[in-house]
Amino acid sequence: MTLRDSAARLGRIGAGITVLAFLGLAAVYVRALVYTPVEANQGAAQKIFYVHVPAAWSALIAISVTGLLSILYLWLKDRRIDLAAAASAEVGVAFATIMLTTGPIWGKPIWGTWWTWDARLTSTLFLFLLFVGYLVLRGVLVDPTVRANLSAVIGVLGMILVPFIHLTVYMFRTLHPAPIVLKPSAPSLPGVMLVTLMSSLGVFTLLYIGFMMQRYALGLLREAREEEMANAS
Amino acid sequence: MPPDNRGFMVAAYVVAAVILVGYALSLAIRIRAARRR
Repeated sequence: MTLRDSAARLGRIGAGITVLAFLGLAAVYVRALVYTPVEANQGAAQKIFYVHVPAAWSALIAISVTGLLSILYLWLKDRRIDLAAAASAEVGVAFATIMLTTGPIWGKPIWGTWWTWDARLTSTLFLFLLFVGYLVLRGVLVDPTVRANLSAVIGVLGMILVPFIHLTVYMFRTLHPAPIVLKPSAPSLPGVMLVTLMSSLGVFTLLYIGFMMQRYALGLLREAREEEMANAS
Repeated sequence: MPPDNRGFMVAAYVVAAVILVGYALSLAIRIRAARRR
């Protein structure tokens, strides 16, 4: 099987997983909007939580995977690892866009402001801009080795920010709520809401896997094209 | 009585869906173009 064939196969599997995840997303939307009760203090806006938190989860997973693959690339110097790291970074930026748009839409009715420059929000925006820079850098660098080395360094630096962002709500005075699930004690959420959140987390994780496989397949297809052109010339 | 902020909820769900569907379509289009080359 050629590189092109295996990339096309990977892309098809990724597309299948993505379709499955979208069906799951539709079910989560129905559960969250129709069957999950409205929170007494925050009203319907609290339900934004069921897309904002899973999007943040997937974004931080994607960026952590980029960082780990970047370390692996710097060690092994395998171009496929660099392509996988770049794939995860792009998917991470897509999820981070959801996180950074749904957050302010929740903040306006609950905090009374779209945005505040506190530690959690500012560090998250910084991480997003860092990975937008990562993608721009990859777009402008022509030499594949230089591109892979420089982006791997940014990938590792971005990953270091992830635990810092998680801990900002404990380290600084911030408007952002503290974690209610990812914390040492039991989740402080009623059962019906917790099931909705966990279902959404599962669906967003599946979306990440489907997107990641497709984006990696795209990188491999482009790589195969470059190899074919190099062999032809 | 909870506050009436349903519009914000709807906006957030629509924005999330548009970004996810948009990204899925962009992947599908780019993969199809890369396969044809």
